[in-house]
Order: sequence, then C-alpha cells, then structure tokens
Amino acid sequence: MGIKAIGIGKVIGDPPTRVLSDISFEIEDGEFVALTGRSGSGKSTVLYLLSTLDNPTEGRIEISGVDVSAMDPEALHVFRNQQVGFVFQFHYLIAELNTLENVLVPAFKFDEALKRKKYAEYLLEQFGLSDKSHRLPRQLSGGEQQRVAIARALVMEPKYLFADEPTGSLDTINGDIVMKIIADVNRDQKTTVVMVTHDPDFAKQARRQIMLVDGRMVKS
Amino acid sequence: MIFLAFRYLLERKRQTFFTLFGVFLGSMAYVSVSGFFVGFHQYVIQQLVNNSAQIHIQAKQDYLTTHQLDEAFYSKAYHHVFWEDPPSGTIGFLEVQNPQSWYERLKQDPRVEAFSPIMGAPVLFTLAKISVSSSLTGCDPYQQSKVTSIADYMVEGKFTDIGAGGNRVILGDELMKRLGAGVGQTVQVSVGNSESTPFKVVGRYYFGNRAADSIAFGSLQDVQKLNRTPNRVTEIAVRLKDYTQAAAMATAWSEITPERTESWDQQNLNFFYMIRIQNALRFSMIAAILIVAGFGIYNVLNMTVNQKRQDIAILRSMGFDTLEIITLFFSQGLILGSIGAAFGLFFGYLFCRYLKTISFMMKTASNPNGNLVISLDPSLYVQGAVLALLAASLASILPARSAGKLTPIEIIRSGG
Repeated sequence: MGIKAIGIGKVIGDPPTRVLSDISFEIEDGEFVALTGRSGSGKSTVLYLLSTLDNPTEGRIEISGVDVSAMDPEALHVFRNQQVGFVFQFHYLIAELNTLENVLVPAFKFDEALKRKKYAEYLLEQFGLSDKSHRLPRQLSGGEQQRVAIARALVMEPKYLFADEPTGSLDTINGDIVMKIIADVNRDQKTTVVMVTHDPDFAKQARRQIMLVDGRMVKS
Repeated sequence: MIFLAFRYLLERKRQTFFTLFGVFLGSMAYVSVSGFFVGFHQYVIQQLVNNSAQIHIQAKQDYLTTHQLDEAFYSKAYHHVFWEDPPSGTIGFLEVQNPQSWYERLKQDPRVEAFSPIMGAPVLFTLAKISVSSSLTGCDPYQQSKVTSIADYMVEGKFTDIGAGGNRVILGDELMKRLGAGVGQTVQVSVGNSESTPFKVVGRYYFGNRAADSIAFGSLQDVQKLNRTPNRVTEIAVRLKDYTQAAAMATAWSEITPERTESWDQQNLNFFYMIRIQNALRFSMIAAILIVAGFGIYNVLNMTVNQKRQDIAILRSMGFDTLEIITLFFSQGLILGSIGAAFGLFFGYLFCRYLKTISFMMKTASNPNGNLVISLDPSLYVQGAVLALLAASLASILPARSAGKLTPIEIIRSGG
C-alpha cells in the first residue's frame, strides 16, 4: 500500500506564502526514496507532510490506504510511535539521558523499555556504539550522536523511516557511515526510507529520487 | 515521563536546590509559625476555660435610656416627655433572682458538670494602717474548685481552707503584697461604712495576672453576712462537660431567664478577634513565602520549557501526546513541591519539638514545666503540604501548558 501524496500543497506564514503546489507521487512499501532539490525547494516540508508531523493545505496523504488527516489524534500518536522513525539533521538527543536511554525513549511511551532493551543494545552494537552505551550525548562525537539518533529511530522497528538531511552536519567519513546504516536498514529490514538530501552522491544511493524545484515536483 | 522529569531536575542541581529550598522554607515556616500561634491560642483558651467559669449567670443590669422612666413618672398622659436632665445610671437587680430555681435547673441539666454560687462584694481590706480597696468573692470552696482551676494556683495553703464559715480569706498575691500581709495574719474587712470584721488569712494564690491577683476569696456565708445579704448570690459560675457548648447554652438560657448569662468566649470576644487577626497575619506571611517559592518554580520551569524545545519536538515526533508533555513539566513542579514540602514539614516538626523544650510560659497544671506550648496538630501538617503542593501546581501549570501547546513542526521550523 505504501505512502501516497495526492495533489498536496502547502501555504505557510503570515502573510501567506506558498511553499508547495500540486505534488502527487506514490512510495511503495520497502522503497528507498530520496527527496532532492535546492535549499528552499520544499523537500523538508514534503517530508514533514508525509511523516504526519504537518498537515497539507490542499490534497491528502494516504499511508497504508488511510487518509492521515482523518486519523484521530490518539491513533496518530500511536502510529508515530509504533510505525515511524525520524532522523533529523541535528541529532536532537536528550542531553540528560545516556546513549542507551536515548535509544529507548520511544519505548517509554507504552512502558516497553525493558522489552526493547535487548534490541536497543543490539542496534548500538551494530552501529559500533556498544562500549558507549552509558555515555551522555556531550561525551560522543557528532557521528556517534547521529548514529544514536538512528538507533533511536529504529528501536521500535518502524515500518517507515523519515530522514531529514541525516548527513547534513557530518563530515564525509561519518556521512558515509550513516548512509550505509540507512541503506542497510532499508535492505535488511525492508523499512521504507524517505530521505531528504541535497547531496547528489547520497541521493544516488536511493532507489528513486523525487526532485523538487520551487515547491513543485519536477522528477519522480 | 516522571523518569525524564527527575533527570531534568537532577541535571540542573543548583536551580533545583534553590527552588526546593524555597518550598522547604515555606512549608517549614508554615508548620512552625502555625504551631506556635495555634499552641499559644490553645494555651490561652485553656486558661480562659479553666481559670474562670465557662458560663457566668449574673444579675442583670442595663443602662437607663432617656425615656425609659417616662411612663413611671407621667403615665401615658403625655406622648413625649422632654427631660431637662435625662435619667441616667443602671436599672436591674444586684442579685440573681430566685437562685434556687437556677440550682434546680443546673442540677438536672446533664451537660452541666458543676456550678458554684458566688456573692461578690466590694470591700476595704485593712492591715495596721494600710487599706486597700478590693473585691471579696464568697463561694463554696469545694464547688468553686470544681468549677475553676483556682486550687491549682494556690501558693500557700489550700483553697478548701476557707471552709464553710469562720471568717477566713485567701488573698491574691498582688493584694497580699499591697497589704503587706502574710498567711496566718488577720486583716480587717469592711463593706461601705459598716464596721470592719476581722478575717484570718489562710492562703495565697498566684495567677500571674495583676487584676486577678488583686482580689480575695472567702466562704459564701461569711461574705453574705458581711454584705448583709443573706442567702443572696450575685453570680452562679457553671462548668460544663463540653466547654465548646458554652456559647449556645448561655444564649439559650438568656432567652428564658431574667439574668445575664454569658459564656467564657462571649466574655472574651476581643481575644477571638485577636486570634483572627493573628491567623490572617500568619496566612499572609506564609502565602508570601509560598508565592515566592511558586515564582521560583514558575521561572525554573519556564526556562526549562524554552531550553528543552528540541526535546519537546523530538518527543512529539515519537508519538508523545500533549498530555504527556504537560505531565513531563507539571510533574517537575510537583516533584519540587512534594520533596520541598516533605523536608519542610519534617524539619518544621523537629523545630517545633525543640521549641516545646524552651521554658517560656507560666507553669500551670496542664503545662507543669512552663514550656512554650506548640501545637503539633496533624491538620497543620496536612494544611502545610496542601499549600505547598497547591503553590507548586499553580506555578507549574502555565509553563507545562505552554510546553503542551508546542507542535514539533513549529519548533523545527523555528530552528529548535
């Protein structure tokens, strides 16, 4: 069923500014899609609309055949918690929690931390962080912080992974590591990945690219 | 969320400490100051309840009004009388009318524990060349001991030494000093222009109140004889099984009898006004401390909400709803309030226990060491906890609500 964007448009701010116009596409389950375009082209806005963090001004988004704008708030929260993982350009780790606790934060919502602990440790091991599970975010490098953020996004074994320029704040080596992890997740776990990037090399690693120019889709 | 709330608090140790200290100080001050005032009030009430009768039944005397005697002088022939010099003074009786019926009523009333008929007379005490005007209270010493705690204040002799007659008196400490008298000596007592009568001093009491220590007690028969009013009484002092019923009973009796009946609390209204003012001051002072503590919590949480906008964004994106975000910040306020209050109440209790060891008050039967009377009433501690939690809750709700209103996209768009 995947994700469907049907004629979506977005107007923001006061005075109103149109940032997206008439965008339609479909992402199949298990796909790895890169949203590309220049800065200000509207790619992050599309990502937030697809991931239910924002609502379109026009059109609709369907995920697994369900119109997300029609979902009640409680169902939306459960959906975000159980089926969606986010990776942002900045790690957004909680400074007061150590690595393992940060990875387990999504599991706190339904008191699943104990149940998910083993998997969290497995993810940290996979990402080369098993010896740093008790360190605070400030004691980690930028690349390590971003890997923790990816582990956090994956700990609930989501069906969809949304990444907003996940390599944007990293050097080349760490960027490559992060990209490899994301590609592996898509390949091994069949997680649908939607990634915003303006780096053509990283975009090429996706199976498909959706390119935006001035809020309009020019390539899919 | 509570786990994360604790972590937030632990990470900001200094802010958390000072905010906790504010709540701690407020709740400790509440129980200490309240314990002091309530204890003092209880002490004074006990003095009022025990040292004097709980209901006074007295002969009724009212002030004359300008036209009260019109009819008596001019019958109804004149509609209005203009007095060149209007009548003044009092009207009524000097003694209780028909005391026997009162005795019967009081004996049959199950709420009455004891009563004591009294004859009071203004007298002149003379010893050698020293004369002091005072008041002599005639009573049955056994009955009077049941009605008041005078026997506990005897410094020399026993109150019952007055006996049923035989011209014996017990003098207050102040009166004794002014006369220069001592136990065993004989003083001359006279009423008005009558011949003086010798009375033997058989005891001395000390209340610690100059007015109360300036009078004397004798037997009822002796004073009636001295005053030339046999079988008359000016007052009946009543003690109840439950002193809190005194006002209601006094009011009910005053409606069905010609006497003035007043309860201990009706006679000491000023004291209760003072208690009210003290309570208002106490609450104002504590409210000020708790408001300051509340502002501390408000400031800390407001700052935390602003500093943690990114955390809020990421939590919301993970499916944490508005209520959970509100809980995250509201619970921090409640944690500060609860821990601060718990420590404040505990140390307040210890401080009150310490205050109770300080010797400051007058020694009485109920307070034999004369220590400060401090109330440890659990309700004060419940009130202190409720006030601290209320202040913490009110201070937390606004920042928590503002955090709950933030949406992830709003925060991400504004750059965190």
